[in-house]
Amino acid sequence: MNGEVLAFWVLAVGLVGSALNVVLSKNLFHSVLWLAAALVGTAGIFIALDAEFLGAVQVLLYAGGVITVVVFAIVVTERLVGERLSQTSRRILGGAVVAVGVLAMVLNVIRRSGIDMPRPEMTADITKWMGISLLTQFLLPFELLGVLLLAGLLAATYFARPEE
Amino acid sequence: MTGTSAMSPLLVALISGGVVLGALTGLLAYVTLLERKFAARMQSRVGPYRVGPHGLLQPIADGVKLLLKEHLVPDAADKGVFNLAPVIFFIPCMLIFASMPFAPGLGVADLNIGVLFFLAVSSMEIVGLFMAGWGSNNKYALISAMRAVNQIISYDLPFVMAALVPVMLAGSMKLSDIATAQQGLWFIAYPVIGQLAFIAFIVAGVAAENRTPFDILEAESELIAGFRVEYSGMKFAFIQLGEYAHVIGTSFLGAALFLGAWAGPGPSWLGPLWFTIKALLVFVLFTWVRWSFLRIKVDQILSISWKLLLPLTLLLLLATAVVIVIRSGAGV
Repeated sequence: MNGEVLAFWVLAVGLVGSALNVVLSKNLFHSVLWLAAALVGTAGIFIALDAEFLGAVQVLLYAGGVITVVVFAIVVTERLVGERLSQTSRRILGGAVVAVGVLAMVLNVIRRSGIDMPRPEMTADITKWMGISLLTQFLLPFELLGVLLLAGLLAATYFARPEE
Repeated sequence: MTGTSAMSPLLVALISGGVVLGALTGLLAYVTLLERKFAARMQSRVGPYRVGPHGLLQPIADGVKLLLKEHLVPDAADKGVFNLAPVIFFIPCMLIFASMPFAPGLGVADLNIGVLFFLAVSSMEIVGLFMAGWGSNNKYALISAMRAVNQIISYDLPFVMAALVPVMLAGSMKLSDIATAQQGLWFIAYPVIGQLAFIAFIVAGVAAENRTPFDILEAESELIAGFRVEYSGMKFAFIQLGEYAHVIGTSFLGAALFLGAWAGPGPSWLGPLWFTIKALLVFVLFTWVRWSFLRIKVDQILSISWKLLLPLTLLLLLATAVVIVIRSGAGV
């Protein structure tokens, strides 16, 4: 077992564990923290697969994003201090069955696709190539996403405007 | 690093990591003294003077005091979160030094995505901060944490944009490449763009570190000490040390991005010394700002970020792109 496989298993167990805690934790704030742990674990998996850029972006965007989610959770439920926010997961059994079903389906697809070749060595600077291809080959989707985000931003400002 | 090629990479990483960590902890302890002395000078005071000659042993006395202090955990605190928060806060603050090259080839890991790594890791700090604020179950701490989220999300963006200007000029996110690209001309001396980007970097940096005039989250007159109000002993020390590590890390980043990193007169082994001196200069600049201005209001803080800094840095990025295209001879 080499270092990469070991790293994968450590990350994977941590990732699945924190993901389970996100849905099973009674305390809403704790589940948000577990979500942060799961997202950082995902970044770890990206880094273990030589996708450093993706890993760093994952941390950069989601660390702030997760905390924004907490703030919204607290602000929306309007319980700043005092009573603990609690999460009640109803129909755990049904959810578990659906989750296992989806997992089986995904595993089946992966097994059939026959991806068993060894991972190719990364020699080129993947970040550089990602940047170049984003601005050449994938320029149109990239710009479309930009326009979409801008529309989202404008909509948010519209809804947040003070009443006249 | 020719002599180390025989050792295993893991061992080299462990040793260099240990050396950086050790040197850093010493530097951080004495940076607190530097700030106290500097602030005292600005206010016509003497500052720490009693412990050792000119107060030189003060940081050690502080450390011993914090080690010996009792750990208090509030009854109503969320114990796990409360105890974990200082660690979660501290780790990213120290980790930001991992991608910092202190001289050509001297550093823990000179990553291809050095600048991005720095930004990503330092953005994790808010998680620890919010855990501290929430876990304390104290209204001051929680309000402080809410303000911190507001402020840090607002200033992350201009900070990233300002840091991107040198990245664009150098054409690389690797910190050693950025340093090498400044051999002819430091990026702060780059006409107009360099100075404006540096100012934006300093302003966003001061805000990201929650220092006055952007210290609404620990505003003493309103919130006592903000999110760290319930902490004592070593847990308090971790938060404090983490905060200083973040400031010094940002100073090193500023020195690497704008002040030519290890470039300086004299033989090349003086490089780390020059780099540290430049970083301390940036730190003194932060300190100068901190002790010169008054705290501003929340709405002013937010409007500076969204209405001034963000458009400015976006325009700067655009201008940088135009300059690069013109210099490379249009066509591309």
